[in-house]
Amino acid sequence: MSKKLFVLVLALVLVSLAAFSAVKNPDTLIVAQYGSPESLDPQAMWDTASGEVVSTLYENLIRYDGESIDMIPMISTAVPTMENGLLTPDGKVYTFPIRKGVLFHSGNTLTPADVEYTFERGFLGDNSSGAMTLIIEAVSGGQYFSIESWFEDWAGMAYSDAVIDREPVSEEARAKLIEFYEEVIDPLFVVEGDNFVVNMKGSFGPFLYTICYYAGWAGILDAEWMKVNGAWDGKADGWWKWHDLQPEESPIHMDADAGSGPFKLQVWDQENKTVVLQRFDQYWQGPAKLKSVILRDIEEFSTRKALLEAGDVDLIAVDPIYRGTFDNTPGVTVIEGFPRAQVTSIHFTWAVDPASEYIGSGQFDGEGIPYNFFDDINTRKAILHSFNYDALIEDLVNGLGERVPTDLPKGFFGYDPNLPMYEFDLGMAEQAWKAAWDGQAWENGFKLVAMYNSGNEVRQTCCEMIKVYTESMNPKFKVDVIGAQWPTYLKATRERLCPLYIIGWVADYPDAHNFLSTYYHSEGYYGQRHGGSYTALAEAQFNELIEKGVREPNPVKRLEYYDLLQRRLLENYVSTPLYMPQGLWVGRSWVQGYFPHILRSNGDTTPEYYYAWKAE
Amino acid sequence: MTAYIIRRLLILPIMLLGITMIIFSMIWMLGPERLIGAYIKSPEALRSNDAQERLIRKYGLDQPFYVQYGKWLGNLLQGDLGYSNVGRTAVTKAIGSRLPYTAELAIYSIIPVVVVGIWLGVIAGARHNTFWDHGIRIFAIIGWSLPDYVFGLLVLLVFYSFLGWFPPGYLSESSMAVLRSDEWRTVTKFATIDSLINGRLDIFVDAFRHLIAPIITISYLWWAFILRITRSSMLEVLRKDYVRTARAKGLPEKVVINKHVRRNAMIPVATVSGGMIVQLFAGTVIVETVFARPGLGKFTADAAVQLDYFSIIGSALFFSFILIVANLVVDISYALIDPRIRLK
Repeated sequence: MSKKLFVLVLALVLVSLAAFSAVKNPDTLIVAQYGSPESLDPQAMWDTASGEVVSTLYENLIRYDGESIDMIPMISTAVPTMENGLLTPDGKVYTFPIRKGVLFHSGNTLTPADVEYTFERGFLGDNSSGAMTLIIEAVSGGQYFSIESWFEDWAGMAYSDAVIDREPVSEEARAKLIEFYEEVIDPLFVVEGDNFVVNMKGSFGPFLYTICYYAGWAGILDAEWMKVNGAWDGKADGWWKWHDLQPEESPIHMDADAGSGPFKLQVWDQENKTVVLQRFDQYWQGPAKLKSVILRDIEEFSTRKALLEAGDVDLIAVDPIYRGTFDNTPGVTVIEGFPRAQVTSIHFTWAVDPASEYIGSGQFDGEGIPYNFFDDINTRKAILHSFNYDALIEDLVNGLGERVPTDLPKGFFGYDPNLPMYEFDLGMAEQAWKAAWDGQAWENGFKLVAMYNSGNEVRQTCCEMIKVYTESMNPKFKVDVIGAQWPTYLKATRERLCPLYIIGWVADYPDAHNFLSTYYHSEGYYGQRHGGSYTALAEAQFNELIEKGVREPNPVKRLEYYDLLQRRLLENYVSTPLYMPQGLWVGRSWVQGYFPHILRSNGDTTPEYYYAWKAE
Repeated sequence: MTAYIIRRLLILPIMLLGITMIIFSMIWMLGPERLIGAYIKSPEALRSNDAQERLIRKYGLDQPFYVQYGKWLGNLLQGDLGYSNVGRTAVTKAIGSRLPYTAELAIYSIIPVVVVGIWLGVIAGARHNTFWDHGIRIFAIIGWSLPDYVFGLLVLLVFYSFLGWFPPGYLSESSMAVLRSDEWRTVTKFATIDSLINGRLDIFVDAFRHLIAPIITISYLWWAFILRITRSSMLEVLRKDYVRTARAKGLPEKVVINKHVRRNAMIPVATVSGGMIVQLFAGTVIVETVFARPGLGKFTADAAVQLDYFSIIGSALFFSFILIVANLVVDISYALIDPRIRLK
């Protein structure tokens, strides 16, 4: 190579390297993760990718204080307690004095009426992809999980009999629907002067947690903007037209927001899988240090890694499988091992939608499974004994996780380390397969689909482990591993399309009920997805213990309920947690202001953006 | 030739109609119980016992084939291909919004793929069994054998991680901010062209920088294919009598190759180029994933994996259209390459 050419190349390389050390995009935080939001309507989402954005656009009545789970005011100027008189001694009436001078992104001023509208819209809408079930359960004193079940109990007729295709079936049904709003829903949430008041049907200990920021689903909406843009008009007559809409039917699904948070939505670019948030300069606590936040969905880890090393992104999602990759990378900070209140589990759909493509032929002919394949306890037993749990912890997540016996994180009330855990035992698995479906599974074979959300390599590998071990027992067994985009994955699990999938749960609030009810109650968010005979089993053996547990003030008695519940769950091979992960945060060292919080969506990847800034 | 072209253009809609019938039939054979899944939005929709039947009737899935096909075709002609779960918008919009990204990459890739591939193939053929021939063939074998995922990551590692020259993605964030602003005029949705229209040379350079690594990846993988076809064709033509005659007449070897051999060797190359263009327009999933670029490849792959029927149909129709047009262009090019061929 000539001298001149050598010098030129060297200069280019040095310039390239030099460019890496300065803070890039100093006013903009860029995050590369995998998984796009499902919806930006706070009441139509319940996933971490959506929550990440929603909790930046919207604000709640109260929030957690820093890294703790102590609550402090946010839109409310006080946290209701019995001591300050904002919570009645019977635990049923909460009064929230609403802060003055808070502006929405539209320029409208936030008032108690907006808070009332938010809660009523959430209740009446009760979107099946949303988290309103948490608040419905709380406000109803633990009696109901959905507005439909509440209506059915009150009206004596099923909601699906009263309303078909968004229209009441008769004048009588219409009258009942209007009356339901006027007599049941409207009195729950009232405005009294500058205060917003919640009149609970029964006391519910964790209620404040269900609406505490980072709970994106309790974000306060701009009522005036919402009504003008086609959302529920606030009236009793016709509320059913907005009940359980598809997320895309909401005006705040993807093109706009109705929040008051420190950032507003600039654009959700579907093609480039990017969400761009812009600083809201009129934010009541003062403008954020960052001018904008960009969230990019990049599935390929190597690409995310390259972008981080070059400084073109500031934070990336890193699966624990890649722990150690950045140990000696200049300019990159790694924080690991902090607690995460979440569990990742194998789930079974006990009764898959018979129209689902994922059951193949629908028979024991080696090309599919019957739709109720996992109704037989032996099939579940076989799968749960076919998994190498130790390999997952030691090799796959590189020690950044631990096993727990049921879907209840360590440290939560009711957690018992002495409960038995399923062993990796192919002998037991084989016996179970031979017993499954009176031997049909073993003799005729099957083709099972195991699903994960694409980009999540840990879950992908878990599905592949299931495949390897299951297929190793019988050449007639086939397991297809399929990855799906996050929103489609959620939809498929919700609609009971996939027989076996792996999914996690991040605590919505720091109480055992959030996990036990979600996973195991027949109307819980995950519990209801089992279908089939699970419903009867849960009603017979689990529901009562869960309901009693949340209402029981005596901790000893409460512990007894939860212990019995967990033992019954284990006996019935309902599902199993794979691991409780520990956090792994990887970002450029110029990112400042990060603090982990066990209840923050994607809290192991991103900071709370209002408090973040960039500087060396 | 004009009559031939006109005839082919007149047949085009008939061919497309046939394709729509085939594609629709394949989906229709799934049966109403499976197809209703594309319309049902939540388990609550099937809560009552007669819900599935009612919804099947509502969406006309119990109608005879010709009624359903007619209705679907009517919607298609109005640009309604249904809702895409993957794109979270209408299928036509989902495909239409991603097409410019794929088209831009495809168009910029075609030139190096074809020009360099043919050039290398001609050299290899003309210098048969020499060092150049062997070297080019090894180059081709490596390209053909190397998985595009591996090569793409290598390109990313060398040109971005190490050298910092060609970043992944579509544009830098600062350029994207300009594209999203009110001052930007979108005309073609090609960043390279629109940037020039908007007088932003910096964005043109940025867009091009982001294109180079994917182009290198795509090109190398296709060079292997094109140059092997070209080389084989060259060798066949070199054995023809008229080539021996040309040499016997004392013509310089360069003239023999360029005037007599090369053009005649292009017929097979033209044939495969049609299919290659379709594949480029279909987008390459791997390149889009590794380089974090939007496009039709990833969209179609996701639709297939997630059984998003409407998106699958829409993509199949679109690629069928591209293939028919590409084949027409290829057929016309035969006549241009070889005057002996008369298109009738």
